[in-house]
Amino acid sequence: MIRVRQMKKIYRVGEEEIRALRGVDLHVGKNEMIAVMGASGSGKSTLMNIIGCLDKPTEGSYELDGHDVSKMSEASLALVRNEKIGFVFQSFELLARQTALENVELPLIYSREAGLTSRERTRRALHALNRVRLADRVSHRPNQLSGGQKQRVAIARAILNKPAILMADEPTGNLDSVTTTEIMEIFRQLHAEGQTVLIVTHENEVAAYCQRVIRLRDGLVLSDLPVAQDQAGQVIA
Amino acid sequence: MILSPYFYSQAIKLALSQIWANRKRSLLTALGIIVGVASTTSVIAALSGLKTSVLTEFESFGANRIYVFPDRPDDKPRNLYPREKIRIKPWEVRELQASCPSLRAITPVTEFGVSIASDERELDGITVVGIWPDWHEAENRRVISGRKFNGIDEVGERQVCLLNESAIDELRLPSDAVGSHILVDGRRFLVVGVIETLQARMFGGDSNTAELFIPFSVAIKLQSTEFFLRVVALAKSAEVSEEAKSEIQRTMRRIRGIQPGDPDTFRAEAIDRYIDQFKTLASGITAIAAGIVGISLLVGGIGIMNIMLVSVSERTREIGLRKAVGATPAAIMMQFLLEAMVLCLAGGLVGVIIGKLFAIGLTLIPGARLENADVPMWAVFLSFAFSAAVGLGFGFFPALKASRLDPIEALRHE
Repeated sequence: MIRVRQMKKIYRVGEEEIRALRGVDLHVGKNEMIAVMGASGSGKSTLMNIIGCLDKPTEGSYELDGHDVSKMSEASLALVRNEKIGFVFQSFELLARQTALENVELPLIYSREAGLTSRERTRRALHALNRVRLADRVSHRPNQLSGGQKQRVAIARAILNKPAILMADEPTGNLDSVTTTEIMEIFRQLHAEGQTVLIVTHENEVAAYCQRVIRLRDGLVLSDLPVAQDQAGQVIA
Repeated sequence: MILSPYFYSQAIKLALSQIWANRKRSLLTALGIIVGVASTTSVIAALSGLKTSVLTEFESFGANRIYVFPDRPDDKPRNLYPREKIRIKPWEVRELQASCPSLRAITPVTEFGVSIASDERELDGITVVGIWPDWHEAENRRVISGRKFNGIDEVGERQVCLLNESAIDELRLPSDAVGSHILVDGRRFLVVGVIETLQARMFGGDSNTAELFIPFSVAIKLQSTEFFLRVVALAKSAEVSEEAKSEIQRTMRRIRGIQPGDPDTFRAEAIDRYIDQFKTLASGITAIAAGIVGISLLVGGIGIMNIMLVSVSERTREIGLRKAVGATPAAIMMQFLLEAMVLCLAGGLVGVIIGKLFAIGLTLIPGARLENADVPMWAVFLSFAFSAAVGLGFGFFPALKASRLDPIEALRHE
């Protein structure tokens, strides 16, 4: 599904070189659910941006779903994001003036599929909303929804095009513990239905929902362990 | 990169909802466009109304009518062209009549002031017009009652006259004045017909002037020998009016013995020339109006650019999100271009509506002769085309800026 080899990312700020990634190797198989952890400055955001096709590596290769995407043009990457990647953000990023249904339909605006009927679009969006158990809130606007409901709309939007990977960046960062459980249960359920999930988090309780935890430090993979071992290690440390 | 019809429908819907959500700001922004379009369309409406009534008036004059005046060449010494040399003589008119096959009718017209009197009233300084019977055909004025002049009146130098309705009123004659007698310069004239009073016209002076017509042969006798006359001629059709004009010019030069290279001592003018002059004037005004529009659209366009830049900066996160879910730079660019164009077109629409209302207002101004003022279809299309072009031109830079935003940076934007 995802194969990253010797990936490096170097930013230039004036004279200074910032080596955000210094040679990361990573493999994510189909239907894995992985937590990516690390302090700020560890390079996890950079890694996630590259895996999410929002950024390109300076060196190394990145193969997504069988295609090398590390050298694609910006327009082609936009298409890859549209078809293969679903994003969930910490602050939901819903369009305030649009209904839940319209928010979920958003990726279809930029879809390559020609001639989608409005009925088909609605059917797909409703199906996605159904999967996050929000079928009863389709015509609500974001300001009429709770934080958890907003995030569920965002998840529905992310899974609309049946992406190869669902990427969540601190999806529970703005939510209380009860809602965090609610959202994580959704991720767990999607994973059970066959979805590959990558979650960036700094909360161990969120990581506990995953099977595998990758920890980064100073632009390198620090550890890559099954969740039980990882959590045990954290307790000892 | 092909964008789907769904993209376009959503982009336009989004643009409209943006305008509506920020309606005060949108209105202020579009004001430049609105004012520009409204002022141009109303100027064009006024001009087209004026043009219609002026052209109708010229039509009623008769487009195949030709006037001949005595004319002293401007750039020659006066003493080379004494009054007697340029004055048109009756025999010259008769020569024109004989030598110009393209003419249907020709008449000399001589005007002079006299005092006239009825039993009731005496009037001073009334303009008396001496004419041939052909005048009826050349000028096409309706005789309401009685008869027109005929050849016997002219040849027999009969003391008969035609009056218009104003003259009848002023002389306090009975409304059917045919058969009454009036005194013209102390001589007794029989009223043989009544001519309609000229309708109010933009050109050709006061409508309600009293008019008195007498046979040309009689008019000569009432004046000094050095009287002036002009010629009114009617070409057989509008098509041959140029031909008729050059026949007149050739004949006049021949009978006056003007050598090749020497200037005319007369002036022959077809009515077409006035139409052309008016059209030139109208297109001049249109050009000035277009210039005003150009400036106001420029100002409006800068406003559009400004607000679009604000919009891009306000919606940075939204742009980031759209890019994250798969919007290409071209799609973002197109969306913001459409937004600028929709804003401009909405301004253009409001402007056209205001212009249309102005045009309706113009038609209601009494005496302004703008009854036909209306915004022509081409002006509506032009307004929209201009508005769209302004949106495209001034929306380009903000749209480019939006399309180039880095999605990661944009999503981090506060």
